[in-house]
Amino acid sequence: MTEITENEDAHEFRSEAVSLWRITFAPLIWAVHFAACYGATALVCAKDGAVDGLRLGIGIGTGVALVAIVWLGWQAWQQWDLVRDRDWENDQGTGEDRHQFLGHAAFLLAVISFIGVSYVALPALLIGTCR
Amino acid sequence: MLRTLVALAGVLLLPACGEGRQSVLNPSGRDALLLYDLALVMFVGALVLWLLVGGLFVYVTRINPREMSRGLAEGLIVGGGVLFPVVLLGGLLVYSLPLMQAPREAGEGMRVHITAEQWWWRVEYELPDGSRVTSANELRLPVGQRTGLVLNAHRVIHAFWVPALGGKADMIPGRETYLSFLPESAGTYRGQCAEFCGASHALMAFETVVMEPEDFEAWLAAEARDATPPQTQEATRGAQVFAREGCGSCHTVRGTQAVGQVGPDLTHMGSRVSLGAGILGVTPPDFANWIAHTETLKPEVAMPSYDHLSPDDLTALAAYLGGLQ
Repeated sequence: MTEITENEDAHEFRSEAVSLWRITFAPLIWAVHFAACYGATALVCAKDGAVDGLRLGIGIGTGVALVAIVWLGWQAWQQWDLVRDRDWENDQGTGEDRHQFLGHAAFLLAVISFIGVSYVALPALLIGTCR
Repeated sequence: MLRTLVALAGVLLLPACGEGRQSVLNPSGRDALLLYDLALVMFVGALVLWLLVGGLFVYVTRINPREMSRGLAEGLIVGGGVLFPVVLLGGLLVYSLPLMQAPREAGEGMRVHITAEQWWWRVEYELPDGSRVTSANELRLPVGQRTGLVLNAHRVIHAFWVPALGGKADMIPGRETYLSFLPESAGTYRGQCAEFCGASHALMAFETVVMEPEDFEAWLAAEARDATPPQTQEATRGAQVFAREGCGSCHTVRGTQAVGQVGPDLTHMGSRVSLGAGILGVTPPDFANWIAHTETLKPEVAMPSYDHLSPDDLTALAAYLGGLQ
């Protein structure tokens, strides 16, 4: 292996390390939103049952989470680059394919995170009682 | 094939055989009706989905087994596999979640505190001044009013369920849970403990008597009064047996020396519709049978069988308890 390809590998790995982190962001938002909703509901209902403020808070938090997930999803969609090359699988093992595959995975995770965050918020927004 | 169809029809028609006193298919309260409609919507929705998926499967494997175009296949996966279920499940959530609120609201009417014991129900009606009228093993509700139920349990977990009137709620020691009923037609509906709670779990039932509001008010006023003194010679002797055997150390008969809190309040036992938490009637032979054979009729119950009592004593006790109107 020559020095040049070693450098290329190192460079490629560095750039993909960012994508690798990026695919965890949407599920992370989902997890934080889930824990925050359930934790806050348990606390408020155990203390004074003042659900109006809680519902407003969950509504705002959900809005912020969804906007962030949509933004991450849009970034991932562009990285996947499906519309230009119509390549669904990216199975060639090249640097470009790895890059696009990570975009593909991040996009699907953003979709499932969007659904998860929406469904977690629905009970809080539609049921106005701790009971 | 025909036999299967007949069996299936039999299963579907089975609920029609009973009186529907303990059936979700005989909704007699606002909440039970909501749940019934919800179940119907879900069932029909599931049926439509099943037919759709099955039909599609038959179409692509039998009727038109050609290779699909890339666009159609992708559309089917994204549309049928992602968008359609997300929208459908979202719609069902938006439709069903708000329905869960009303059965948990306190309502504008009375509050009743129900504590599950092994294996009977302590029932206390909260009056507007905050005082409580104690009864047991029977719930009376006014028709057309939403009554709040505050549920609790002693020692082990139970669950409160009157299928014809509404949903089910866990009863947890040390923690209050809530349910409320809005009965829509007068009648008697059977309730049953719906969470295994020990040897006699299956024998832990009760009757819910839904009454016209004015009848209910009259009944509650009567229930709040102390016990009527024995009216006959037989009943008077029964009261003596009751005192002699120490029944009052576990049972309360308001207006007498009997102030026990361990077992059900017996102040108006004679006016109830069942005995032993929904397992016997309230005729004199039922009382005698229950007192002499409690441990046989309800395994592991706290009350011992008073099988040492003579038939005369049992008859007298039955007359006394039956007279507690």
